[in-house]
This record gives sequence, structure tokens and C-alpha cells, in this order.
Amino acid sequence: MKTAASASLNNSHATGLRPEKVKILAVDDDRDNLLALQAILEPLQQDLMLAESGTDALRLCLDHDFAAILLDVRMPELDGFETAELIRSRKRSLHTPILFLTAYRSDEQLFRGYDLGAVDFLFKPIVPEVLQSKVNVFVQLSWSELLVRRQAEELARTERTFRAVLEGAPDAMVITSTSGDIQLANSRTDTMFGHSREALLGTNIRNLIPEWTCPELISGGIAMLRGAPETRLPATRKDGSPFPAEITCSPFGVAEGFLVTTAIRDATTQVEAEERITRINQELEKRVAERTIELTRSNEALRQFAWAASHDLQEPIRTVLSYSQWLSQSVTDELDEKQTIMLRFIEQHASRMHQLAGGLQQYIVASEAGQQAWTTVDCNVALKTVLSTLQENIKESGAVIECDHLPVILSIEVLMVQLFKNLISNGIKYRSSETPRIHISSSRGEDGWVFSVRDNGLGIEPKYFEYIFGVFKRLHAVDHSGTGIGLAICKAAVERLGGRIWLESTPGSGSVFYFCHPELTHGEIESSVSNLPG
Amino acid sequence: MAKSSQVFRIFLAEDNAADVVLVREALDRHSISYELMAYPNAQAAILAAERCGSDGYPAPNLMLVDLNLPWGHGCNVLEAASKNPVLNSVRKAILSSFVGSPSDVETARRLGATSFIMKPANLEEFLDDVGRQLAHLLESSEAASS
Repeated sequence: MKTAASASLNNSHATGLRPEKVKILAVDDDRDNLLALQAILEPLQQDLMLAESGTDALRLCLDHDFAAILLDVRMPELDGFETAELIRSRKRSLHTPILFLTAYRSDEQLFRGYDLGAVDFLFKPIVPEVLQSKVNVFVQLSWSELLVRRQAEELARTERTFRAVLEGAPDAMVITSTSGDIQLANSRTDTMFGHSREALLGTNIRNLIPEWTCPELISGGIAMLRGAPETRLPATRKDGSPFPAEITCSPFGVAEGFLVTTAIRDATTQVEAEERITRINQELEKRVAERTIELTRSNEALRQFAWAASHDLQEPIRTVLSYSQWLSQSVTDELDEKQTIMLRFIEQHASRMHQLAGGLQQYIVASEAGQQAWTTVDCNVALKTVLSTLQENIKESGAVIECDHLPVILSIEVLMVQLFKNLISNGIKYRSSETPRIHISSSRGEDGWVFSVRDNGLGIEPKYFEYIFGVFKRLHAVDHSGTGIGLAICKAAVERLGGRIWLESTPGSGSVFYFCHPELTHGEIESSVSNLPG
Repeated sequence: MAKSSQVFRIFLAEDNAADVVLVREALDRHSISYELMAYPNAQAAILAAERCGSDGYPAPNLMLVDLNLPWGHGCNVLEAASKNPVLNSVRKAILSSFVGSPSDVETARRLGATSFIMKPANLEEFLDDVGRQLAHLLESSEAASS
């Protein structure tokens, strides 16, 4: 029947099994009967094999598995029953369903047939629909068996893969219930903990890792478990010796609920390496700290030396200066021209020496860390202080000073005063033949405030831009009254304030000195001060 | 000087003999009558400050202390003076050739120094300015003690 056959095909599609032809064996000594059977079973589209004797049938049974055997009862030599008996006696065909075809409806025959394991009798003349229908049942049955066998094979393969993965893992892998009862463990577990695998089954994982906890369970639409991140927990071997373990728990759902895979890695080497790194780091930090203390000490010693030197130089030279002046006053009428010149040189150079020592002292003040306090500085006020101390210079030179409005900032006042004083007095000192004009202004830049002091003086060639910021570096002769330390003081002061100083200049048309000053908060200053060594 | 007849006792801790001479010269220029007790190092000055008020050591009218002294520091002298009650009402001034570090100035102020006199490098400034400031201090101390 076409409908039955096509239905069965659809069915097999639904179960996911590829429809394969199954083999059916028809046995009859009458060739015409065989041809008739072939014609009836044709619509099933299965693989029908034909045998004209019991002996032929047995031979075919050696080489093939049949979904069903149609067996004529009355045959010469081996009859149907004898053939069936022999088929049944073989292991391969022990369960092959046999349908007997017979013309006689006798109870004796039926009993003998069922005794021999027949599943059904069909009486001649054969009704094609009945035969088709019965054979189709066996085709379906065969397909089902095949499906089950394949699923079992697949399952066995998955199981083998799983075992291989489990055994091949570099970590000890233990599968437990959510309460920690061990259901499975790989061979690494044996070697890592010293317990035999069999002994572990059924015991609790907390015997191995006392602090083991089941990862958090989250119930949503479908119950889910979240994998816990890797943690380090103490583990215990069978002999009681402890070792650090890296643990990753990953839960998974099964029909009965949840199981947890715990991967355990011996972290002894890692912990030792970490401890070694920590030890090395501590040692390094200690050495850096020691070196810093040493450096701070030598810096402080140098600073004190420089301070004392500048002061101690100033004191005697001031005395030389005063007394040479006194001498020249008291003997002025008695000296000849040469002696007057001698005394003037003594005075001139003593005066210069005094200025240098004073400049050095200011430089030290400017570059000294942590001595002056950060306060709110009104730059306009600082500038006013500077202008009043430079009053004489300004008046004498006829300089015109223009100031924009300047900001109020967090800074160190004495340094801001030094900056303005040195830059403005430089502008006056190194003036051209024109009336000196000095313009002070400020603007807000990316990293804070940028101050500028513009003059119309001699100007500086670009190749000297770096040079002029050095200590005691000067571009002009001694008679220009500069000490050569003013810009070094400015540089030290700006750097102390966390900024930098630079200039733009064209020889003959003046210079613009810029310095930037970071915009800080009280908090930033406190933290930077507390970070200072010593 | 309004009351030039008075002889002022001036305590001077100063190691530079040249400066002692300049101080004398400046006082002379301002017609101040004085008795100068000069101590060339910190220890001598401290000892003198401790003894002030006892027999043979009359209290001065003015104490002038250089910050930078051998065998100690100007502040050590001020400290000794602050512990002697006899010197409580005596005016104390720092006489120094350089701007002291902010912390030194602060310490000196705390220990009773009320003035800070810079020693100028120029002779005329020294004799005029320092002399004038000393005259002013002596006048005000006279007013305070009378």
C-alpha cells in the first residue's frame, strides 16, 4: 500500500533517521509465487530477496540481516518449519521475525509454527493489502531498532569523548552534586590528592578542599547556575599535607537537577613564584627607599653647603666693600690718580662679588623644596611689591610698565615676586636706545596660567635661548651690572612651581618671556607636599 | 636724640669685629652715648644673657643679635634671653647681613625679636640707616621703660 509506505517514510524522517532500505526475504519453491510476492511488496520500496528453497534461505541468512522473512510452509527437502528451526538456531537470526505462508488452516500447524517462534501466519490466497500492511510493520520495527542502536552508539561515543577530555585535562576534575558529594573524578585527582579514585566516590569534596562552596544558583525562567570565577583555596592531600589550589567551579544542569564540575590546579609553584616576586619587590622597595634617604641626605647637605657658602661669602665681601668705601672717603685728598683707580676697582669688584653671593642665595631660596608655603597669591599685589622695589630703576631709566589684570592663584608668593622682579629688571637692564617699555600679561592655557613679560630691549639670538637660563651665564660685559643668575633664579622658581619658562625674541626688537604656572587645588598641593622626601 | 645725656647700654652679639666698629661708627654719627658690650660668639652671648641682672651685669637697653654666630646661632642667644625675666622688657633686634630663611625669622620673632635690621653693603647706608634705626629703637625703649 502506497499510503502506508509513504507514511512510514515520513515517520522515519521525523525521527531523524535516514530512510534506508531494509531487507526482506521471501522463500517459496514455486517461482510464480515468488514473483507474485515481489509484485505485492513492490510498493513498499524495500530490498526484497528471493529464495527458492530452505537451503538457499539459510545461505542468505548467513550474509544478511532481514527485517522479516516470509516463509512458505510446504517445500520439498527442507520444509518451512524445518527451515525456521534452523534460522532460529543461529544467533544472528535468532530474533528475525518469521511470517509463515500456508494454504492449510490447521491448528497443529499453527502450534508448531508459533512454537518455532513465528510471529504470524498468512493464508493463501494472499490478500495483497494484508501482506503489505504486516510486512510494513516489520519494516518500521527494523527502523526503530536501527535508530535505538545508533543512538546507543552515539551515546557511547559521547561518553568516550567525555572520558577522554576528563582524563586528558591537566587539572584534577571532580564532578559533584551541589552539596559536594563526589560522583566522578579523573585520574589527575588520584595523583594530586593521593586518594584512589574509587575511594573518593561518594565522599564529600570538602575532604579535599575544606572551604569548597557550591557556586551561586540563580533561578530564572529556566533554572541556571552561574560559573564561579577562579579562586584560590587551601587543599589537603590524603597524608594531611596542605597545598594551595586554584579552583574553578562550573555547574551544569541534568535531569535530576544540577551537578558541579570543579577543576582543581595545584598552585604551589605559582604561589612560590608570587612570594618570590613579592620578596624581590620588597627588597627593591627597601633599596630604593634607602637610596632615596641617602640622596635626600646628600641633597640636604649640598643645599646647606650652598646656603652657608653664599652667606659666608657675602659677609666678608660686604666688609671689604664697606671698608674700601670708608678708606676712599677718609683718604680721598691724599691719593694720586692711580691709587684712586686701584681703590675703585676694589670697590667695584667687591660690590659685584656681593651681588653674586646674594643672587646665589636667592637661587637657593627659589629652588629649595618644601620651605615656602603655598598660599593664595594675588599676582597684582605681588607685581605691585616688585614695582615698588624697582622704583629707582624704573625712574632712572624712564621705563614704562604696563600691566594687564592678573589672576589670583595658588602659588608661593616669594617665588612669584622673584619671577616678576627678575624678568622686569632684565627688561630694564638690557634696554636698547629706546625708552624701555615692559608689558606684563597673563592668559589661561591648557595646563594652567601663562604669564608673559614683553620688553622692547636688545633681544636675544635664538642660539642663546637655553644658555641664558644657566647659573652665572651672561651675554653682556661685567659693566652691564647683571649677575648672570637672574634667569637661573626664574627657571628654578618656575620649576619649583611645577611650570616651565621659555622665550621668544628677535635681536634688536625685544623679547617676550613666558612662564606657565599650573592651576592647582589645595588638595593637589597637600598631596604633592606629602610626597616630598624627608 | 632728644635725651642725649643718657648713656645707653647696648648688648651686641656679633662675631665680625669690622661690623662692631661700623655699629660704633653709626651710633657716633647719630650722637648716641652708649656703652657697648660686644660678644664675639654665641656661647659668650648666651652666658652674658643668663647673667644679666646679677651683680656687675646690668641689664642692657637694647639687644642686637646677629643670626649667624660661631658656636651657636642667634636664636640660641634670644632663647637664653627669653628665659631671663630681667630681659623681658628689653627690646631685641636681629642685625644680619642677609635675609634669614623664613623659618629663622619666624623663630627669632617668637623668641622676642621685634625688629630686623639688614646690614647694607654700602658704607653710607650702613652708617645712616642702621644708625637711624638703632636711635629709633633706643628712643622707643627709653619711652617704654620710663
